Amino acid sequence: MPTITFSFTDLQKLVGKKLDLDETKEIMWKCKGEVEGYDKDTDELKVDVADTNLPCMWSIEGVARTLKGALGIETGLPKIEIKKSKYELTVDKSVKDVRPYISAFVAKGHKVDDYLIKQIIQLQEKLCETYGKRRQKIAIGIYRYSKIKFPVHYKATEPESIKFTPLDFKKEMTQQETLEEHPKGKEYAWILEGKKKYPLLLDDNGGVLSFPPIINSNDTGKVEIGDSELMFECTGEDQESLLLATNIFAQAFFDRGFEIYSVKIKYPEKKDEIETPLIEEEEIKLDLKKIKDIIGIDIKEEKVKELLGMARYGYSKGIVKIPCYRKDVMHQVDVIEDIAIMHGYDNIETQPITCFTIGEQLPIIKTIDRCREIMVGLEYQEIFSPILTNKKTLFENMNTPEFNIVEIEKPMSDTYSVLRNWLIPILLEALSKNKHVEYPHKIFEQGLVVVNKKDGIKDYERIAAVSANHTADFTEAKQSVDLIMRMLGKEKEYHIEEVEHDSFIPGRVGRIVVGNTKVGYVGEIAPQVLTNLGIEMPVSGFEINLTEMTEKTRANQ
Amino acid sequence: MTEIKKLVKSLHPLERKILPFLAEGKTARELEKDSKLKDIEVMRSLQWLQNKEIVILDEELKEVIELDENGIKYAKNGLPEKKFLQELAKKNTLKVSEIKKVLGLSDEEVNICIGSLRKKVAIELKKEAELTATITEQGKKLLAKETFEEKFLQNKFPIELGHLKDESLFAFEELKKRKNIIKKILVKTIRVRLTETGKKLIKEKVDIDVTDALTSDILKNGSWRGKEFRSYDVKINVPKIHCGRKQHYRRFLEDVRRKFLALGFKEGAGPAVETEFWDMDALYMPQFHSARDIHAGYRIKEPKYGGKDIPPEVLKKVKDAHQTGHGTGSKGWGYEFDEQKTKTHVLRTHDTAISSRMLSSSKLEIPGKYFQIARCFRPDVIDAKHSVDFNQCGGFVIDEGLNFAHLKGLLKLFAEEFAETDQIKIRPDYFPFTEPSAALFAKHPELGWIELGGSGIFRPELVKPLVGKDIPVIAWGIGIDRMAMFKLGLNDIRNLYGHDFELLRNIKME
Repeated sequence: MPTITFSFTDLQKLVGKKLDLDETKEIMWKCKGEVEGYDKDTDELKVDVADTNLPCMWSIEGVARTLKGALGIETGLPKIEIKKSKYELTVDKSVKDVRPYISAFVAKGHKVDDYLIKQIIQLQEKLCETYGKRRQKIAIGIYRYSKIKFPVHYKATEPESIKFTPLDFKKEMTQQETLEEHPKGKEYAWILEGKKKYPLLLDDNGGVLSFPPIINSNDTGKVEIGDSELMFECTGEDQESLLLATNIFAQAFFDRGFEIYSVKIKYPEKKDEIETPLIEEEEIKLDLKKIKDIIGIDIKEEKVKELLGMARYGYSKGIVKIPCYRKDVMHQVDVIEDIAIMHGYDNIETQPITCFTIGEQLPIIKTIDRCREIMVGLEYQEIFSPILTNKKTLFENMNTPEFNIVEIEKPMSDTYSVLRNWLIPILLEALSKNKHVEYPHKIFEQGLVVVNKKDGIKDYERIAAVSANHTADFTEAKQSVDLIMRMLGKEKEYHIEEVEHDSFIPGRVGRIVVGNTKVGYVGEIAPQVLTNLGIEMPVSGFEINLTEMTEKTRANQ
Repeated sequence: MTEIKKLVKSLHPLERKILPFLAEGKTARELEKDSKLKDIEVMRSLQWLQNKEIVILDEELKEVIELDENGIKYAKNGLPEKKFLQELAKKNTLKVSEIKKVLGLSDEEVNICIGSLRKKVAIELKKEAELTATITEQGKKLLAKETFEEKFLQNKFPIELGHLKDESLFAFEELKKRKNIIKKILVKTIRVRLTETGKKLIKEKVDIDVTDALTSDILKNGSWRGKEFRSYDVKINVPKIHCGRKQHYRRFLEDVRRKFLALGFKEGAGPAVETEFWDMDALYMPQFHSARDIHAGYRIKEPKYGGKDIPPEVLKKVKDAHQTGHGTGSKGWGYEFDEQKTKTHVLRTHDTAISSRMLSSSKLEIPGKYFQIARCFRPDVIDAKHSVDFNQCGGFVIDEGLNFAHLKGLLKLFAEEFAETDQIKIRPDYFPFTEPSAALFAKHPELGWIELGGSGIFRPELVKPLVGKDIPVIAWGIGIDRMAMFKLGLNDIRNLYGHDFELLRNIKME
């Protein structure tokens, strides 16, 4: 969820109305925004905007535009005027396999101050990081227009062939050196991994504007306080996304009072030529009946038009006109939600759901609850652990080779790098962390384990218990297993078989079998295992696969 | 019965034994001697008597002198300088090294012997090839005498420092300079003071016939008849015990489940290792969505792909919805759907994966109400608010004619059932798979407005491919981990899944 910060005074100026903070908090919901905080000293308002699919709302200009609609100050499609110009940008065919698309415009007639530069950078970063997938999908550059000689040229060049001074650096370097030495280069080098040539933006004098998507040049790519003429450019892999980003920026600059001049993008093929920003009016049909179906309110067309206007749509005769900075409207439900938001969720009545249905829990829950009840009756403390764990806990500490494990690819930490496939190690780990706590320790866990089998990954509900005290032994553990089997009516189908298991003392471990199904182990934990974990108390315990016990044995009957 | 009689009856056998020896100002040690009880027994009974306000125990700390390691040895065997002199007296002149060897003295002891004997002019030393000592007349006289130090060592220890005077003080000062002979320690003396009740009580006859414990034998032979039982101090603190108990969070989840069952919801389930299909694609989240980046979900090493449980016809419809809207009136996401990517294994990132399975299941009932409590996984830095492994609770309600008004009704019901409040706010929100979407806030008596969960109406592009027709489905989710933390009064999510036995044993039932 993007979080944006801006000046509260600036917001009121853009909206054109004095607002108090409480009112702002409430009206901000119309942008799906939650006011996180307000700093009186700096006048800074912090807002979380929930809609990750609506990048136009990730700037103060976008928020102000919607608030103006919601407050009825200015409704309908926002005004935007693109002045035709002679500016051209040529695209060389060399960028096709590197970073194929570019769009641009020129903005003039409004002085930028320190605050506005920060706002521009904020929107640029939000768009590139989230929507632009960390600059891979789109990356944006903004330049001092006065330093640029048009036409501008976009091409791909050999990594070592051109030298320029990257932003905030003093020495000239090649593109390859920039990737290796400049902090932004190191951060975004992954985008160009494996490319033989790198993108470059030059003006007609051969001066480097930038090395997209990495860094601007220090000469033209640094907007200064007091500048009033800027060039915007956006490169990327997906043309639709970069056209949207361009429109979002163009509208934001226009709202600020800039005049927007288009740039003609000349691709190698004449048919691909395009003039950006590309303002095409998109439309969607709205079935008025659907509003009632979805929101449950009965409203007249006139009111629908008013609400749509508040949400900054245009409307006429069943057709909704979508503003140029939105690409998220796919279905009329998207528009209907905006109608509901502008109508106010509080103004929609509340109706109970009356359909009659019968509650039903998962079949396994019954067995699970019976077993837990028995263990609590035996004075065991239940524990509840993360399912993610690590190989050391499951195997190394347990003195046993790895088996049937689901491993996470690129885990953030080794501590949580595999899914547990048995429970006893988790219980022993818990014992090892509580050596200072008064004994006896009798604990159990019932829960999910995930086993990576040849025929697929299987989830099982299991129960395991361990008892750590001076007299913990096989008898104690088996008594518990016997009791569970007796209470669940399985005593006739159930028996123990001799088995070898490295985690237990040889000759003091048994396999639990119900019918023909092997469902678990019971025994005394091997001293080597206890020593591995620093446990200085004998421990015995058991583990039973409840899923297999209930499903397989039921199927056998 | 008078208070005193009642008091007598409540006395423990130990108290009864010590009572005849009680007198103002007696120490615990004296009582131990008089009563012939063990020190622990004396202390316990005095403690009990103090609890009953019969005595007041005063503690005095005093510095006393005890013999240390060498002190004990010398008290028994004599001081080394004396033995040195005795040895020397046998031959009048001897090499020091020889004496040392015979007596088994340490270097340090030898130095002390020489120093102290020279001071008393008991020996003369000569340094030739080796150091040689000769006993003097003074030395011979000294042999017959007992020194102050020797006398001192024969005392009965411990001795109070304040009791030392003249000779003994001199001896103490001398010995103190030497290694490990005496040590000063602090001892606690417990002295009894009698309260008014106590003064009355010691005049009472206390060896009355009361029975201490009811036993099986007494019951069998009937001898309990006519007997009095000792009264207990029923206000006394007894040792703490623990019970076997359900884990606090699981217990909370049980309550949640029970509520949903009572409200007519059916429980659903799905695997922890999901495919992107059920976790994301079936929910109409586009394959290029930022929430699907590698950072937002765990992939697994082997096997990378699954998807045997994806019905081919459902896959086809979902793909169609992503690409062109599947005839729902939507233009779709408009991109090339990747059928291999959809089969990628991922640890379930949210419980809604289970909803998508249920919606496409042949067991789906309409009308139907469904819920699930599911373990979900997301890479995150672990702290008080974030766990990589957490529970989510969610589900859906499906029926013809449901709309946003019903969604509000459902959220209101949840607030009443789970947060016991009807003070709620429903605000716009965003989920990639619902439109409209709403967040539920409820007013917590102490914490103010808190977000309880989210809800929305599933998009038609999601519903139609899975259910086979466009029908209203209200989807919802509750922040169950957070709600449990509020209810259980915990402020660290790790305490929901932790192994701290003290917490597990002692946390209150909510």
